[in-house]
Order: sequence, then structure tokens, then C-alpha cells
Amino acid sequence: MRNWLVGLLIVGLVSICGCQPQDKSTSQTQRASRELKVAVAAPFTGNAAAFGEMIRRGAELRAKEINDAGGINGMKFTLVFEDDAGKDAEASLVAERIANNLQILAVVGHFNSSCSLAGKPIYQRAGIVELSPGSTNVTVCEGSDWTFRNLYRDDFQGKFIAQYIDKVLTGLQSVAVFFDNDDYGRGLRNAFVEEAEKIGLDLVASEAYDRDNTDFKAQLTSIKAKNPDAVFISGLYTEAGLIAKQAREAGITSQFFGADGVDSPDFLTIAGEAAEGTYLTTPFTFGAAGEDALQMAINFEDLHGVAPDTWAALTYDAVGMIADALEKTYNAEAAVADNRKAIRDHLASLDTPEEGYKGVTGLTYFDINGDTVNKPAYVKIVKDGQFVAADQQLLELD
Amino acid sequence: MAQFLEQIINGLVLGGIYALIAVGYTMVYGIIQLINFAHGEIFMFGAYIALMLITVFGIPFWVALPLSMILCGMLGMLMDLVAYRPLRNAPRLSALITAIGMSLALQNLARMIWSARPRQFPSEVLPTIFLSQNAVSLPGGATLPYRDVFIILLALVLMVALNRLIYLTKIGKAMRACAQNPVAANLMGIRTNRVIAITFIIGSALGAVAGVMVGLREVVTPTMGYYKGVAAFAAAVLGGIGNITGAMLGGIIIGLAEVFGAGYISSGYRLAIAYIIMIAVIVIRPSGLFGRSTGHRA
Repeated sequence: MRNWLVGLLIVGLVSICGCQPQDKSTSQTQRASRELKVAVAAPFTGNAAAFGEMIRRGAELRAKEINDAGGINGMKFTLVFEDDAGKDAEASLVAERIANNLQILAVVGHFNSSCSLAGKPIYQRAGIVELSPGSTNVTVCEGSDWTFRNLYRDDFQGKFIAQYIDKVLTGLQSVAVFFDNDDYGRGLRNAFVEEAEKIGLDLVASEAYDRDNTDFKAQLTSIKAKNPDAVFISGLYTEAGLIAKQAREAGITSQFFGADGVDSPDFLTIAGEAAEGTYLTTPFTFGAAGEDALQMAINFEDLHGVAPDTWAALTYDAVGMIADALEKTYNAEAAVADNRKAIRDHLASLDTPEEGYKGVTGLTYFDINGDTVNKPAYVKIVKDGQFVAADQQLLELD
Repeated sequence: MAQFLEQIINGLVLGGIYALIAVGYTMVYGIIQLINFAHGEIFMFGAYIALMLITVFGIPFWVALPLSMILCGMLGMLMDLVAYRPLRNAPRLSALITAIGMSLALQNLARMIWSARPRQFPSEVLPTIFLSQNAVSLPGGATLPYRDVFIILLALVLMVALNRLIYLTKIGKAMRACAQNPVAANLMGIRTNRVIAITFIIGSALGAVAGVMVGLREVVTPTMGYYKGVAAFAAAVLGGIGNITGAMLGGIIIGLAEVFGAGYISSGYRLAIAYIIMIAVIVIRPSGLFGRSTGHRA
């Protein structure tokens, strides 16, 4: 009796599987009304979840605007959100899942540099574009034709911070670096240290921390013994907030400096009063943006009820770039692999300022690696519990 | 010198927290030879429960702390009842894997309820002695918050109380009997399941205290039980798993090793240095500092 049932089950399964190819062939005729899917891979949970939330909202706004305007060549534009939790192991799994899903045509993501690096070989093998709105590690785009980003690299950012401290905050002579021991934190520290040594800043300490730990007192006590004028925190906002707080407790009175990983309102809530006066760099700020960015901020607030941040704006542009590429290249009759490749070829062709994509965060065009090298860095400072643009910006580097 | 003194204090605070967690691992192991991997999650729930009691229900901190201990004790007991008791006579590996599953389930439950975003105890509802500006000034400009003094003292008091409980009370005697030989203890009229439940309650309540302390000093997240849990487990092994005094000392040693490793050797290998010390001790004394070497238990 049982054998008979199992046999029936197998016959059933085989016949279902057998039907699959037929389904596909019938769907081919309906392709015209199909939706175009793009994945957004970011840390929706975990230590960088506040970034993920803004990334999601920025992407949703752009997709909504595209669909309200009639979609892409009449087809609906759909986002598929994939959570990498900000961890490289998780990102590999997400990348495999996306690469194997033949409905997905491109990826906006990942956010954390370590996640973009983990996804890179997988996306390259599968032949699908990875366009990051947040990864700044120098090596993210190297060695893959399929990886792009629409913001600066850490070699620029690290150099920028060192020069800003040297030229603008002239009272600060000695600096200590406290860095997150991952691709982002280490890469940024290396770039900063290299430039600091070149221009003659006095580097008195370089300490690492592990992102899973939330007690930084041991390292901070060592840093305090060196009595630096400034502490550069090369990491993400959760840890940076706790570091600022615990540093003040440990009696460190130095000026704090952070990079774009600290650029989240959650830094302010976690650090509380200790955040006051912290300088940080960011690839984009609404304070220095054009008309279209301010309009985007208004639309964003209408849709989500909160103000957008840097990452929402960069994601908004990244999604826009992919949609633009789809509009110009998508061919409903072509195979998925060809459509994926057409997006890559289109992005790679944006290699001069004239060809570049004009978005709310400025002009985006790519060098041979897929990096964006034209975008400046802005400096913000925490004043009365808010991020405001610093009085002095530094637009040209030596 | 000032730096050295500060590092000692950093290590003692961390060690006190590890000791409180490590006791929970070691007590359960001593009595049913189970490494309760979900203990780190009980610690995390302790922090969240206290946070909820204070922020959502508006309960004062001094009531919320014992209440969180009681609720976590209940949670620990419940965990034993549903997950471990049915496997009491099953192969040890089954219980171990159940513990890992329990740990993952609780961590994800916390993520579902409270989201992954880190939370902090709002300073306006805490007793003023816990605010970080209220501190003892140390030579060299550092401050030692009363909160950290409180953590060290509380850990000390609880450890002494636990020690007295185990050696001076009837239930303590029953626990020791069960640890020695559960079957014989049962034959002598000790209700082993009840003793085991009490062990879980005590261990979980101490874990909850540690959770609240970490929440006060640092931040509350669904994954906070992992890092501290692993370190505390190392402390329990270092002290000789199953031995309560060993777990207390192990906690202090791991805490100090971690801080001195980070402060004087290399901050990139903070926890690794603590583990190397643990491994070195285990190599020399396979049963840990205070472990029994009779081979009676694994």
C-alpha cells in the first residue's frame, strides 16, 4: 500500500516537473506585460540596519516614481529586497540566490564593503551587474567587469580626512585611529595612515576593534595614554556611537572624526551628548545639493514620513541608473543572460562626464574599473544633536 | 601606572560580567552534563526584559532588575521543561544540538520582537548613580563610573551568596548530590527534576543580572549573547566546567586577559588572546583550574 502511494507521488512529481518547460514557452508570449525585477541587497538587519532601512526607502521611492510614470517601456519595475545582515557570509548566500533567480536582471547593492567583496565573484560568474550605493573599500570594483559603484573610494576618503585635519583643523597635531577590523575599517585606516604620514600628522596610536564586541574600554584606555588631539573612528555608526560615549567616560577629551560609515542619525541617538562636535565625511549632503535633490527630499518625506539621508539619495540614483539602462537596452525577446549583459555594457559606456548619469547626488560616470572618481567629499559636524554642514569644506585635495 | 590601574578596573568589570554568565553554564553542566548554548540568549533576554519593564511599563529600575531576574529564571525553567527534560536519557549529543537550536530560536525570536536595531536604557529613567557622569575620579584623568563599581560589587555579592547557597543550604546540598550521582540522589529521596529546574532558575537569574549590567554599560541587541556568551563559556571551561568557584575565577581571568591582551599586545586579537590563555591552561590541566580529574564525569 505504502509503495503504491510513493509510486503515485513520484509519477505526480515527474509530471509536474515535465510541465515546467511548457509553462515557460507559453509565458514567452506574455513577456510584453511582464515585470522587470531588480534586486536590492543591503543590511536590513544587524549592526548596519539603519543604513539598510534608508536604502530600502530610497529604492522604493525611485521605483514608485518610475511606475507612476508608466513603468519602463510599459513594463512594471519591481524591486526584490534581499537582506545580507551586513555580514560577508550572509552576502555570499544572498548573491547565489540572486544570481540563480533568472527573473532578476541586476543588483543594487551591497552596502558593506565586505559584503560587496563577498558577492563580487558570484555576480561575475553569473554575469549580473552589482551596483553599490555604499561600498567604499578600494578593491570593491577591481578585477570584475560586473561591479560598479556611484560614490568615492576609501583611498580618496582617507586622504581627504587626513588633509582636512591638517589644513582646516590646524590645531590638531597628533591623531589616533580606532578602526573596525573588517574590509571597510581596515582599508580606510590604511588610506588615512598613508596620507597622514606623508603630510606629517603625528600618528600616535592605531587600535582595532571587533564588531561583535561592544566594550571598547581596553583599547580606549591605551589610546588615552597617548593623549591624541584627534581620534579618527574608522567604522560604522553603532560602534562609533558607543566608542564616542565610552571614550568620554574614559576621560578622552580629543576631537572625534568619523567617515561615511558614521553618517546615520542612529549615531546621534547612541552616542547622545558624546556625539557633540564630531566631524564626519560623507559622499553627499542635501545641504550642498541642487534643486532636484531638494525635490527628491520632499517626495521622500511625503512617502515615508522621515527625511532622507545620504544613503537613501545614493540608492535612489543607483536604482535610477539601472532603470535607465533597462529602458535603453531591455529586449523582451532576448535571453536573460543577454539582457543582464546589456545592462553592464550600458553602465560601462558611461565613461565620460558627457555620457554620465545625472542624478540627485550629482553626475555619475565610471572609470575602467567601474569606480566613480569625480564625486567630492563633504564634511558634516554634530551641532546641538544634529548633523549640519561644517563651516569650512575642502573641495580640492593636493 | 594610571593606565595600568584603569586596565585592571576595565578587566574586573568585564570579568565580573563574564563570571555571572559563566556560573550559569557551569551549574547546568555540573548537574546534567549539558553545555547549554542558549544561556547567552537568556542573558540577552534579561537585558531586553528589564528594558521593556522600564520603558514600556514604566517600572522603576530597582523593581525591574529583580523582576527581570525572576522572569528570566522562569524562562530558563521553561526551556529545561520543554527542550531538555524530554531528552534527559537521550544521547548527550541530542541535548547539545537541541541547545544550539534553542539558542538560534531565541535569538531570532528577540529579533522578531524587538528588531535588530541596538537599544539603550534611556538615561532619564535610570537611578542617578548609573549615569556615566557620576563617577569616582581616578588619578590620570579617567573616571570610574559608580555603575562599574556597582557591577563589580554586585557580581561579588551574588557570587558569595551563591557559594553560601550551595554549601550551607539544603537545596545546595541536593544540588551537590545530584551533581555527584543523580540516580543515587533520586534513590535518597531527592526530586532530581526539581533540583535541575532550580539550577536553571538560579543560573538564568544571574545571567539576567549580567544582561542588565551590559545593557547599562554598552547596548542591547539580539546578538549580544553571542560574544559575551562565548567568552563566558571559555571562562567556565578555564575554571573547570562544573565547578562554580572555578567559573567565577575563570570569568575574572578571561576578563583581565582580554583587556590586557587588547591594551598591551594587539587590539586586533582581543578575544583570541583570551582563548590562547584558556587553551594553555587546558593543555597543562585538562580538567581546568578547579576541575575534578577523577574522570568520573566527562
